[in-house]
Amino acid sequence: MAALIEAKDLTKKYGAHIALDRANLKVEAGRIVGLIGPNGAGKTSALRAILGLTNYEGHLTVLGREPFRDRTELMNECCFIADVAVLPSWLRVDHAIDFVAGVHPRFRRDRATAFLAKTQITGKRRMRELSKGMKTQVHLALTMAIDAKLLVLDEPTLGLDILARRAFYDALVNDYMDETRTILITTHQVEEVENLLTDIIFIDRGRIVLDTSLEDVATRFTAVAVMADRLDAARAEKPFYERHILGKVVLYFENADPAKLEGFGEIHTPSVSDLFVAKLSGGAA
Amino acid sequence: MNNSNWLIRREFWENRAIWMIPAVFGGLLLLAALFGQVSLPRLTSAHESREAAGAFLVVVGAMFYLVMGVYSTWYLLDCLYTDRKDRSILFWKSLPISDANTVLCKLLVGMIIIPLVYFAAADATALFAAFILSIRARASIGSALWNGEVWWQVQVLWMYVIVTTAVWFLPVAGWAMLMSAWAKRAVMLWAVLPPLLLYILERVFFGTRMVGHLITRRLMGLPFVSFNDPKYVWTHEGGLVDNAAAGASTPSVWHLINPSGFFTNPETWIGAAVGVALIVAAIQLRMRRSEI
Repeated sequence: MAALIEAKDLTKKYGAHIALDRANLKVEAGRIVGLIGPNGAGKTSALRAILGLTNYEGHLTVLGREPFRDRTELMNECCFIADVAVLPSWLRVDHAIDFVAGVHPRFRRDRATAFLAKTQITGKRRMRELSKGMKTQVHLALTMAIDAKLLVLDEPTLGLDILARRAFYDALVNDYMDETRTILITTHQVEEVENLLTDIIFIDRGRIVLDTSLEDVATRFTAVAVMADRLDAARAEKPFYERHILGKVVLYFENADPAKLEGFGEIHTPSVSDLFVAKLSGGAA
Repeated sequence: MNNSNWLIRREFWENRAIWMIPAVFGGLLLLAALFGQVSLPRLTSAHESREAAGAFLVVVGAMFYLVMGVYSTWYLLDCLYTDRKDRSILFWKSLPISDANTVLCKLLVGMIIIPLVYFAAADATALFAAFILSIRARASIGSALWNGEVWWQVQVLWMYVIVTTAVWFLPVAGWAMLMSAWAKRAVMLWAVLPPLLLYILERVFFGTRMVGHLITRRLMGLPFVSFNDPKYVWTHEGGLVDNAAAGASTPSVWHLINPSGFFTNPETWIGAAVGVALIVAAIQLRMRRSEI
């Protein structure tokens, strides 16, 4: 089956600034993919291109379409939440539901109202009267009631407190996700999404640094807390990153032979956040 | 079509001023009719009462038209800017609605729907004012002001004014929307400064006034193009619907309006073509610029 999102040499320039530099990536159906990078790495540019909000150079297909040219058709099958704070302040909750129900062929009103029935939010309230957490719930209710093949979330929990964040991700995984759907999330708070992702894409300075599934991370990457006397031998195996914590030295290896590393010290699979730091500080070893 | 329906409804949710301003303005006029000084001339003939009815309806309509002009301009300047400013454009763009559809619906609201709302408010205000005046002054005046036949003629006039205004001011609306889709802040300033700058540069370097003439003609020229001879609206012997200058035996609005002249005037169509180009540009910008 063809990939849901496929980008080849995707490039986006703003004047002299290159936000995306010949980025290649692939997202398969049924996955929860984290697009992870530091601020200004090109995450948002990539998402804007994928959602048809901006033009770009290079080749890009999403659900078999060219996003910028076919945004309208694409939005029949794809939906996105780009930061929860974007529902207009004058909009009433019931009007928002009416509007989306009116224009979106895949919107299921009963699902949206069922979701909102579990909250304190009533139909006549305007967005400006709602707290940020409540706005998130409205936006989620609207979005999750759409039978979309692809859901894109851009920093979805920015500015939310920890309770609202937890509720957001719980609803996402429990009520929304199933094998017919694909979710693409960008965030720079890796710890928050680590446990729900199936795939990770690291992006840095406009380039894709890593694009892999979490199953592959375990076989591909190894971290070793090296004993002091074996440090030189371990370094000879060419770790790509070295970290000093509490007097211990942790070396990170890619595609190394586990048998060789065993003697150096305690071996474990790096967490996504450790890997992120290791990969993006690359060369600083 | 279905989407347009919702997009227009959306404009009414967002801009409650579309109906609130004419409602408040009509209310103020009615207050004036209730408590203001009434000194109406004695109407002796049927001819005079027709004239009075016509003048009355036209004056009320003209006042609403002026307010509408100001509000519509503001609406068009604002309509592609606000949702970029508060970033809600990202929500609207997450729905399967094309940018062309969005922009054209906003244009339709600004150029046709808002004027319809205002003229409906003008009609309602005139009706109530005539009723009030007939109680306060003399019943005969109130009924004279509410002449059914004249009323229908004035409705024809309103429809004609709405259509000609929409076509004539299309380049102005297109420019306003383009700036609304483009500016990062101070849309009003962006709308006014470039033409002003062009005018000044032309004065300084060429000593001519082409730009100034073009702009003044566009802003002020509509009555000269769309009516036969607008000065008769205000003359005592002519009046609006009793346009003696037209030499008609049955005076009517048909002698005032000049549709064949308006729609065969090259100025009309050159302006409209410029307007279409500006609106196409606004749509293109709308597709590319989503945030400020």
